Amino acid sequence: MIKPLAYNIVSPLGFTATDNYAAVRRGESGVVPCQDPVGIPIAVSRLDRSKLLKAFEKKCKPSQKHTAPEQAMLLSASLAVQEAGIDASSARTGFVLSSTKGNIELLGIPENDFGRERIHLWHNAALLSGFFNNPNIPLTVTNACISGAAAQIAAFNMLEKGLYDHVVVTGVDMASDFIVAGFQSFKSLDPERCRPFDARRKGLNIGEAAATLVFGKADGKGISLIQGNVRNDANHISGPSRTGEGLYRALCHTLQDVPPRDIGFISAHGTATPFNDQMEAIAFARAGLDHTPVFSLKAHFGHTMGAAGILESIISIMALEEGVVLPSMGYKEHGVEGELNVSTVTAHTDKRFMVKTLSGFGGCNAALLYQKHS
Amino acid sequence: MKKITAYCRLTDDLVILNGKPCEISFPSEPGPGRLTDIYRHLEVGYPKFFKMDNLSKAGFLASEMVLRSLQYDMETPDESTSIVFCNRSSSLDTDKRFQETISRDNYFPSPAVFVYTLPNIVTGEVAIRNKIMGETSFFILESFDAEKMIIFTDWAFSSAGICRVLCGWTEYLDGHCNVLVMMVEKESDKGVDFNKQKINNIYRT
Amino acid sequence: METLIFDLKKQIIEALNLEDVTPDDIDTNAPLFVEGLGLDSIDALELIVLMEKQYGIKLEDPGKSKEIFRSVATMADYISKNRQK
Repeated sequence: MIKPLAYNIVSPLGFTATDNYAAVRRGESGVVPCQDPVGIPIAVSRLDRSKLLKAFEKKCKPSQKHTAPEQAMLLSASLAVQEAGIDASSARTGFVLSSTKGNIELLGIPENDFGRERIHLWHNAALLSGFFNNPNIPLTVTNACISGAAAQIAAFNMLEKGLYDHVVVTGVDMASDFIVAGFQSFKSLDPERCRPFDARRKGLNIGEAAATLVFGKADGKGISLIQGNVRNDANHISGPSRTGEGLYRALCHTLQDVPPRDIGFISAHGTATPFNDQMEAIAFARAGLDHTPVFSLKAHFGHTMGAAGILESIISIMALEEGVVLPSMGYKEHGVEGELNVSTVTAHTDKRFMVKTLSGFGGCNAALLYQKHS
Repeated sequence: MKKITAYCRLTDDLVILNGKPCEISFPSEPGPGRLTDIYRHLEVGYPKFFKMDNLSKAGFLASEMVLRSLQYDMETPDESTSIVFCNRSSSLDTDKRFQETISRDNYFPSPAVFVYTLPNIVTGEVAIRNKIMGETSFFILESFDAEKMIIFTDWAFSSAGICRVLCGWTEYLDGHCNVLVMMVEKESDKGVDFNKQKINNIYRT
Repeated sequence: METLIFDLKKQIIEALNLEDVTPDDIDTNAPLFVEGLGLDSIDALELIVLMEKQYGIKLEDPGKSKEIFRSVATMADYISKNRQK
């Protein structure tokens, strides 16, 4: 079985997965009000740069200067690799980076100290594997907001096909002016903390984080990744499908052998934009999941883009392990048409399966299925 | 056996379809204008083309030629085809354009530019044009790597019901285009063997 | 008003990359979205940018912009009443 052997989250809510999970269980959020580059009120979940640098220097003892996304990426990977106890320098270990914009901030600083290649995502990935003296060519997955799921599917396939014995999957993205301005131009930012699936939802919050999952083959107790699938809406490059086509199809393939009654919860994408959440409700209902508890973690972390699929999978894995369905923070009044069982309280579950979904620009949708083994 | 049933190579001054150079007159100077020349030559008739960024235009045109040569049915929704593209520079060409729209003294961020600051949008454009509802994925590698492209295609085939993969290297940066798009059939007796040597041969022509 | 309508058509063509369309091809009173030019949600957002960039008009609520963007005529009318530059 393909199992997460260790995991880490570096976010405003803490620098370990345990701290982040505990903060979520306490109902905390990293999202705070601030302003966009031209002074319009927004809300962002931002990493404290000095805290990040301190933790990074302490753990990674860098020999050169690093950008904030590099610091978060290396810190997260180092902590997870240490916990997994694997040999990251081995040729049998693979590295996958999941990021949408990596070092994009450097584009706005033409005279920077980092050199021209540092802007490239492959460079970020090389920095990651190089940090551990790993000899393999690292892979970067950049598939909009589903990157973190696509990266896990890549890791799954690497292990299934025997390419490696261990795969380190790290996701990272920052709330650069570039990304903030872009989402602002789409009128999809909520100036307050986002409200996924709620009637008053106005949009998303950008979030900063790095998160790492170390996968390997193992049997026995714990959580395993059963499978994951990606499907396209073939509808519009930015607008979600009105019929939830791609997500519905991704779910159908992923849940082929698992009836809805065995699924404890869906950890949805739930960005809190009007169209995304509605699309998800339609897709879940079409897949027979309209009674399955659903939550979004976006009000805790914001939308952490390339890290989202990994970060949210980790929190959901920990919830499945504990046997709880988390409440969907920010949800009060039902705000999507049709049946959807949005979770409002922390509830116990004995069920063995959990589904993580993501959808993104380009019409891509992903569904991942995890199982608890006792 | 996996076979390449059609392929298209697109560079700054070359258009090769299934091994044969295409006779296209280029009224435009080398650069993005030539993508429009190809579009006009092919008589595509798809106004959305003009809204695309250069990376999407290049990937779209190469895919269009490959699918046309296979008489692909673009009207019927198709979940048995996946699109897996990769490149070196992600969407950096358009990232630079978007950065220009957010300079301090001229701050008008453009949503139509921003959406293309994700390289996987090209896979979405091809999916929309051809109603392809299988997987769409985008990977970044430092340089062209036939071996890795075979691996990515293999992964795509492991998802249920996928019988063909439109596999491509789609690179566009600073006016320079370097694209290879191949249709790979899972089970076919016709076509070019889908192996490292053959892919490299096609790429180097 | 005539000049404003002509300029606006030119600006729309440029901002939305409407290749092979001339100002004369755009019917001043025809709906801009769905029918007519077949514009989509990204085009609507791009028109918001156009209004701010060219005329200094800030439209924060995309919901309310629907009426303004009904046709070139409604846009021109709104611009003439609200323009800042």
